[in-house]
Amino acid sequence: MKKRGIGIGCMFYGIGYGFSRQDISAAEVEICEDGSVIVRSGEVDYGQGSDTIFCQIVAEELGLRYDTIRLITADTFTTPNAGPTSASRVTYVTGNAMLKAARALKKTLQSVAEEILGEKDLAFLNEEIYSNAHPEKRIALSKLAKEAHLRGLQIVETAWHDITTADVNPETGQGDAYALYSYASQLAEVEVDTETGKVEVLRIVAAHDVGKAINPSNVEGQIEGGVLQGLGFALMEEVVQKGGYLRTESLGEYTIPTSMDVPQIDSHIIEVPVFSGPYGAKGVGEPALIPTAPAILNAIYNAIGVRITETPANMENIRRLIQETKE
Amino acid sequence: MQTFEFYTPKTISGALEYLSDKGNRCKIIAGGTDVIPALRREEVRPSHVMNILEIEQLRGVSEEKDSIRIGPATTFTEITHSDILKRHLPLLIEAASQVGAPPIRNRGTIGGNIGNASPAADVLPAVIALDGELELQSKSLGVRILPAGKAVEAAYKTCFGADELLTGILIRKLPGGTRCAFCKLGRRNAMARSYMSLSVVLNAGKDGAISDVRIVPGAVEAVARRVAAAENVFIGKKVQASLIDKAAETLAGDLVGVWIPEYKMPVLRSVFRHVLGRVL
Repeated sequence: MKKRGIGIGCMFYGIGYGFSRQDISAAEVEICEDGSVIVRSGEVDYGQGSDTIFCQIVAEELGLRYDTIRLITADTFTTPNAGPTSASRVTYVTGNAMLKAARALKKTLQSVAEEILGEKDLAFLNEEIYSNAHPEKRIALSKLAKEAHLRGLQIVETAWHDITTADVNPETGQGDAYALYSYASQLAEVEVDTETGKVEVLRIVAAHDVGKAINPSNVEGQIEGGVLQGLGFALMEEVVQKGGYLRTESLGEYTIPTSMDVPQIDSHIIEVPVFSGPYGAKGVGEPALIPTAPAILNAIYNAIGVRITETPANMENIRRLIQETKE
Repeated sequence: MQTFEFYTPKTISGALEYLSDKGNRCKIIAGGTDVIPALRREEVRPSHVMNILEIEQLRGVSEEKDSIRIGPATTFTEITHSDILKRHLPLLIEAASQVGAPPIRNRGTIGGNIGNASPAADVLPAVIALDGELELQSKSLGVRILPAGKAVEAAYKTCFGADELLTGILIRKLPGGTRCAFCKLGRRNAMARSYMSLSVVLNAGKDGAISDVRIVPGAVEAVARRVAAAENVFIGKKVQASLIDKAAETLAGDLVGVWIPEYKMPVLRSVFRHVLGRVL
């Protein structure tokens, strides 16, 4: 018999390392004589898209196209220390450092433009700087860069951002654990085959509070990837040891989802900007994974009245628990 | 890292010549989806490896008057695209199309699925359900025809002689009105080793009475076979759903043995009901 159920999982997650552990990041933005922009960051993009949003942040500030920026990352010889890509911290910490560096450079360029155009209220857009009041007064960014170079001004800026917290009282546990938190809820709809014990996840609806999605496509990608990882955690992943030997030695034996196991995933990006984040952004990397397994396990309970307290909720375990519940 | 002599014959006679001399220490390779991991894990340490992918006569699907011939070096992808099989043996396509995933199916072959003799093989049980026959050739015994159900004698062990080469899978065309169904259960929807499979072929006469039925579970015993006890529940009876439960219980009773774990039994009953429901 096939039974359907719906379950909900909720989570909050601390962004960064917290507990007074050092959590700093640096970024460098340079404009060359011809107007081209070089950005340097020690951060590693391992597929979540930090490279993209660094370029977006700098492009947004300086009025460039983000794909014209020359980005150098993860080179210990040339790039400043950005700390690890972990703890869902890259957008929040390194993004902020990137923003600071870009704005510092912008300030220098602004001062030159004010001098040349004779106007103070200026816009940086489409690789030009122009007066808001008198738009005919404009100068190309490339020309402005040349002028800044000729004047011997600061055309490269390195900025640091630090979110290291004070820590909690070791006895009471109260205090400043993390700099800030992301929140999320996910709903899972499952169908359980009570005879085989097989669980099919029909749909996941994920709502994630991310402050600001600098790149909504990337955020959706993170959510979908995290959801699938959570699905595998709930239903498939299992390290098997027998007699002291590891039986699940390779991906041939250790089961994780493939593209054919992806359910319908509806992502809802909730944007309530946090003033301390770059453009109000927080973090989503780990939060994406956390509520999924609880949602699925709760959905299984809703479907068949069986509480799962150990993962994976695979065919054998579900059937055993159904049997135990009957007894 | 293993070292071995690697030989690629262009003809069947070239292959048989090689096997007559080196067969007892030679591993035959086609797509390599089973052999290469086995070599890497050093489960086999052959001094010789013979690649059969360049022997033209071992590839492809051809149609004769009453039967279909499938070359052992035909890949699962080629099987799923074969018009001849679509028309005459869609059960084989159902089984082949669920092996692994597209990259595996592009390289893996039906001969390999049979020769590797894994208890979890997907295609061999379907061939058994279709009453398939295997053509073996060697210098010592010449041409030998073997029913597919007799090919495997134990897990990962065929009864083929060391100098024998599988040169064809022969399946008689099914009478009109034959119904077939295949089901595979795995821990995920692709790249999944078969947790359990079931192949069913059923024929009913003009009067509606079932004249012939073949039921072959996969991945429940070391050696896949037809379960006669379950089949007999249907013979001579009219096609009806009420027979399914009785046959499912008989199936379960017949298969309880050393190999099949207790926890797989109810699953088998469920899969059986599902497949028979499609066929009846």
